[in-house]
Amino acid sequence: MNALHTVLAAVGEGRIHGGWEYVKAAYGICWTGLSLYALSLWIRSRRSEDVK
Amino acid sequence: MDARMRRALEIAAVPAVACIFGYAAYVGLVVAPPDREMGDVQRIMYAHVPMVQMMLLAGTILFVCSVLYLFRASWKTDALAEAAAEIALVFGAIGTTLGSIWGRPTWGVYWAWDPRLTTVAILLVALAGYLALRRFVDDPERRAVWAAVTAIIIAVDVPIIYFSVKWWKSLHQVQSNPRTVDPQMVLALRWNISAFFLVFIVFLVVRYRIALAARMREVTVPDSQPGTRQAVAS
Repeated sequence: MNALHTVLAAVGEGRIHGGWEYVKAAYGICWTGLSLYALSLWIRSRRSEDVK
Repeated sequence: MDARMRRALEIAAVPAVACIFGYAAYVGLVVAPPDREMGDVQRIMYAHVPMVQMMLLAGTILFVCSVLYLFRASWKTDALAEAAAEIALVFGAIGTTLGSIWGRPTWGVYWAWDPRLTTVAILLVALAGYLALRRFVDDPERRAVWAAVTAIIIAVDVPIIYFSVKWWKSLHQVQSNPRTVDPQMVLALRWNISAFFLVFIVFLVVRYRIALAARMREVTVPDSQPGTRQAVAS
């Protein structure tokens, strides 16, 4: 019974425990990368309008 | 639609897309349950999968625009091809990095020369080369033709990437489908795909305008089409 309880508890959390540091790193890189690209587009867009 | 109304719509679109993007991230990071095997690390999929899907979509747009250009030359299709190539590179590079981060706790390595990863790496290098080629050629007509031919060759890799997991059963898992995934996870994935798609559209429109404006500055007659151009601005 105790073993079953342990197994069921593990199912709820996943076999890989923790791992939030990977999640934070991944989302941090994703958001930073997209934000920097958005900034680059904005700067180039402004520059393009200035030339017109 | 007049210019002022279009400008107002564009200004309203940015916070709207940001809100949808933020809500999608909340669904993926908080609402969706952890995976039975991967635990919370699986949440990386809600960003990785849409990013790579957008890379493939941009690659498809690049291919279609390049074929269209060769059949019916237009600065618009050339500009859209340039925009799609750059966005494919950005989304692909970030998406692959996310996959690599996910690979460390699940596969035990950041990188493996698996067919899926290898074909994506080839695409990213080829896209960087395509964008470099566009910078090296000064004549806009010649550049557009060379770029279109190069893009068609590069785009052969897009279906290979998609089917690589089915053709060569290797380390990277095959595509999931809603019947085999928890409905809450499917919901989170759909929210994120929609949010990333909106971001993709905004980026593509802005980048297309920049490319088209640059092309118009290069030619002396603003409305001229390739082939009918009188002279190239010095």
